[in-house]
Amino acid sequence: MGQTSSKPSSSPFQNSQLFFKNPSNDQHTPPRPSIFSPLRPPVAKPSNFIPLFNDCISAASSRTQEYLLFKDPEDKFYPSPEVLTQVFLMTYISQSISLNITDSFNCTAMTPEQRILLGADWVWAVLQKPTKNPQIQIAVLVLHLHDKEEAEDDGMPPNASSESVQIAQKESSNKSMYERMVDFCSSIGKDCYALFLFLGKKSDKGNIYGVLSNNFEAAIGKCDQIDRAFIENFFKGSKYLYTPSGMMQAIVAKKEGDSLTLMIKFS
Amino acid sequence: MDLYGKMAATQDAKGKGEGGDQNFDYMFKLLIIGNSSVGKTSFLFRYADDAFTSAFVSTVGIDFKVKTVYKNDKRIKLQIWDTAGQERYRTITTAYYRGAMGFILMYDITNEESFGAVQDWSTQIKTYSWDNAQVVLAGNKCDMEEERVVSVDNGRLLAEQLGFEFFETSAKDNVNVKQTFERLVDLICDKMSESLDSDPAVTTGAPTAKLTDSAPPLQQPGCNC
Repeated sequence: MGQTSSKPSSSPFQNSQLFFKNPSNDQHTPPRPSIFSPLRPPVAKPSNFIPLFNDCISAASSRTQEYLLFKDPEDKFYPSPEVLTQVFLMTYISQSISLNITDSFNCTAMTPEQRILLGADWVWAVLQKPTKNPQIQIAVLVLHLHDKEEAEDDGMPPNASSESVQIAQKESSNKSMYERMVDFCSSIGKDCYALFLFLGKKSDKGNIYGVLSNNFEAAIGKCDQIDRAFIENFFKGSKYLYTPSGMMQAIVAKKEGDSLTLMIKFS
Repeated sequence: MDLYGKMAATQDAKGKGEGGDQNFDYMFKLLIIGNSSVGKTSFLFRYADDAFTSAFVSTVGIDFKVKTVYKNDKRIKLQIWDTAGQERYRTITTAYYRGAMGFILMYDITNEESFGAVQDWSTQIKTYSWDNAQVVLAGNKCDMEEERVVSVDNGRLLAEQLGFEFFETSAKDNVNVKQTFERLVDLICDKMSESLDSDPAVTTGAPTAKLTDSAPPLQQPGCNC
């Protein structure tokens, strides 16, 4: 699977504070803007979206955790898995807009039909300039701790009742959401990654983890099927968990055509 | 049984089957293809939802909408597939060409490159679809006359060379959007009737009325902007 085992070197992007350091000490940094410049969010450059991406993930993870850890004293009420996905995505999108990174790194939420056809909840993309065409993509499928797993396996979102959603299901029969997302990514190539995002694991219900790879298709044929158990198995052999910015740094630094598989802790 | 025979057999779908509204006489699968940013998604949104937004959101992979139209008292359900134009999605999008009865091949009249790619898209249709698929060539964004780089005549000429019908369209101003789809449906119905005439055995329940009983209205292919 091309799994990496070495701990990455410390990334200059891992501390978002570095992005805002005083430029007077750095000869390679553009001149400091005039104090008369209008106040606006920092404009993201092609390679410096990573600390801002990290900030967006931090906000989304923190907000989601508030609900992930919610416990009704009477044990009758709990947020639906779909709501947790929506909270994460809404917070991420809002934050990415306010930090102005969408010109270099965007997030496209899938329509209900696309979610079934492609197996992803949303797709992140590093954009080329000036075309804004995707250069690197990360397709994300959220996995929840409680229930709905059977529905996900069937490609049936919780509120799947519309006609078009049912047509999409017919088109996608015989394959699970996991397999569809892996197929989608492998059809694009090594610059498209599948990220399975766990909102809580059995061993740690209050945190958010992920398994990312551009090489899941290698598992097809070697194992019976790609399912939650198969993906969770990656954590058993991992000694190192990447940070979100570390993950992004590894993706950006990867040589074209190489395989990359990482485990990440998002919260 | 050829594809049109199978299509005709969808008449039996009324009230049967699992999932979705099965209450239709025919189901046509249509694809919109063409270079990135020519306006395929906007075109579909205008037709299906009568909506338009100028914000450009690149389509990821593929998506679709369903719309039901009526022709000679027959309900025709259109599955309209919106494809991403970027090369990186080509493997995914061409997988959906199979079984498509009609294509809207779109270029942008303000983008020479998108017009130059029409021939390649036509080859893609021939490669991945079937011989009887019907194609309409659409020169979109005809509201942007001041930025035009592809003339109407060149568009029409290329359509004739390729054997396609032709319209200039504007999703923004809602010009020839409905007409393009209606013409494509007419072409498919014509072809389907031909197929049924030549081999009535292809379907067990022959249509009670031909979909081409009344001639389609003449269309104005040029942009009225």
